[in-house]
Amino acid sequence: MAGYFEPVIQIFKPSWRDGYYRANVQSVTYIANKTVSIELKVESRWPTHKAGQHIELTIEINGRLVTRVFTIASSPNQAMHEGVIRLVIKQHDVGAFTPFLSRLTVNSWVNISKPKGTFLLPQSNAVTFFAAGSGITPFIAMLHQALHDEIPPIHLVYYAKPNEHLLVAELASLRNRLANFTFTLLSRSTDGDVAAKLPEFIGSQWLVCGPQDFYKTIKNYADTHQQSIESEHFSLVDLHTQGDEKAHFQVDHGGIKFTADNQQPLLAQFQANKINVPYGCGMGICHQCQCVKKKGVVRDIRNGKLSDYGEELIQLCVSQVVSDVEFKA
Amino acid sequence: MNTVAEPNYDLLAEQLNEIQSTTMAKVGEQDANYIRRVIVTQRILEWSGRILLVLGFVSPWLWLVGVLALATAKILDNMEIGHNVMHGQYDWMNDKHINSKAYEWDIACDGKSWNRVHNFEHHTYTNIIGKDRDFGYGLLRLSNDFRWRVKNLWQFITYLNLSVLFQWGVSYHELAAERVFFGKKKDNRDYKVPHSELKTRFFSKGARQLIKDYLIFPLLAGPFFLWVLVGNLIANLLRNLWTSTIIFCGHFTGDVKTFSEKECENETKGQWYYRQALGSSNIKGGKWFHILTGHLSFQIEHHLFPDMPAKRYREIAPKVQKVFREHGIQYNTGSFFKQYGSVVKRILRYSLP
Ligand code: FES
Repeated sequence: MAGYFEPVIQIFKPSWRDGYYRANVQSVTYIANKTVSIELKVESRWPTHKAGQHIELTIEINGRLVTRVFTIASSPNQAMHEGVIRLVIKQHDVGAFTPFLSRLTVNSWVNISKPKGTFLLPQSNAVTFFAAGSGITPFIAMLHQALHDEIPPIHLVYYAKPNEHLLVAELASLRNRLANFTFTLLSRSTDGDVAAKLPEFIGSQWLVCGPQDFYKTIKNYADTHQQSIESEHFSLVDLHTQGDEKAHFQVDHGGIKFTADNQQPLLAQFQANKINVPYGCGMGICHQCQCVKKKGVVRDIRNGKLSDYGEELIQLCVSQVVSDVEFKA
Repeated sequence: MNTVAEPNYDLLAEQLNEIQSTTMAKVGEQDANYIRRVIVTQRILEWSGRILLVLGFVSPWLWLVGVLALATAKILDNMEIGHNVMHGQYDWMNDKHINSKAYEWDIACDGKSWNRVHNFEHHTYTNIIGKDRDFGYGLLRLSNDFRWRVKNLWQFITYLNLSVLFQWGVSYHELAAERVFFGKKKDNRDYKVPHSELKTRFFSKGARQLIKDYLIFPLLAGPFFLWVLVGNLIANLLRNLWTSTIIFCGHFTGDVKTFSEKECENETKGQWYYRQALGSSNIKGGKWFHILTGHLSFQIEHHLFPDMPAKRYREIAPKVQKVFREHGIQYNTGSFFKQYGSVVKRILRYSLP
């Protein structure tokens, strides 16, 4: 029923959507090269986050709703009292989402999900944060929240390219205000790999946030040293867009998993694996074979176009996989 | 196929693909805003219509306006919104409600079953006798491909009845297609949706429509029960007549060709386009006429590109027509009266052996 009236409600409340929360853009500022900080005023029914959690941010780009996941880089305390949250987002040169963030205007509306995730500050004697690049965001939220809560001693090891560490002034000010927080800024080119730094921190609780490689290095070390570790890592989708070379990917259809190649249409491979999906024409006309893709990238056989990463409807009969893909059954 | 010179199919496919890709590249915000505007208009018409029906006691004129508003709302819902959204024309928007999987329309016919028969059988196998059951809806004899039977003598009356009850006809038709009610099951068909489920859907969607239009809304009107009931009845009738007329004009004018299964084996994309072109006919008209037909007045363009947002058919029609001319393919179009006259003639002509 909400869906039935949605376009009517949108006249009065722009971007109002059934199943989403609305947020109003308060400011869009560049805090570094290609890094944008966005403040959002959330509606009052939005369930306040815990420091370290993320949200799905949905914006309308040329008529199309596109969604990405971002960690909130501000404290629950601020959300509760001012109704404001902040996202710090690294922009990519290409892509279907981040380049468009600079077009967001103050006072425009976006949609967000409820806060999600279990990457939280643990109750522990001592904690070490390992951050790389824009992986600093959950720690910023935790540290801001620490101004209001009791916290264990925290040390932050923050890796980035030389002079590209984000929010350094903010970290310095947090260090001044928090008695038991310290940090070091490092770069691989001048300070060497994170692996060499690790032995120093054995014994504390480790929290890692950063790209896949960074996480893996730390994880391997932790595993061999019975070191306890929590992590939030962004694995970039492993794309394989050169069509001629055969490659295999994992397909997950509501929990049923199989391996598919990038040569045949997905529909045929579903059938080969005895997964029953409706279909019709087999040539992209009737939309009977449509499925909800939750994540992953597929290529449209007809024109070679790559799909988005996030949730959308795709036609199995004219799609090939170019990454691991997950479908709703 | 009985046309003189066959077109160069590969060139035809290339040219039409080109029209499709340049147009689809333009599809975006404008189209999203457009369909939302149409939905808003539809909701306003529907609810003002329903309220005006009750105000019939103030002046019967209000009631009359109400009936017309409600009928228009139902037409918009079925044609420009329902039909087109269910074709997947707006799936790219990624909207949770405006997409071919989620949309459910205000008609007796269950969206999901319709979607299957219409999008798959009718659009894939357009006018292939024996495969496209929409050809004559199993009730009318519209070409010599079918043997003449005595009942065809009065098929014009059958046609009128079908028009009056069109929503139920369409609904029943899907099930008949799947042989849910009686008779032999066709082999080598996958029954994707179990019959029991189709049957439940037919009855539950049908019942819901009946209860909504002829019980709940009239009851809500209290003492004006009858005003509302009759109003709904007339609105549904107007909608049925309009939709069936438009659909017949799009498919059953005198010039529309039929094909045999044999002819269409191993068809190339070019041949497929060609069949779509000869299987449909357009109706000329103004902007509002096109919107009220759900742009099915551009039946040819719709059959070539069923999942292109329908409003775009208006801008591509001249290009399509030009391509057809180059290949000597007939572009079947005409005024509403010319096309409708041609349909009536065809129904009458094939009443006789
Ligand atoms: S089976 Fe018809 S579009 Fe995929």
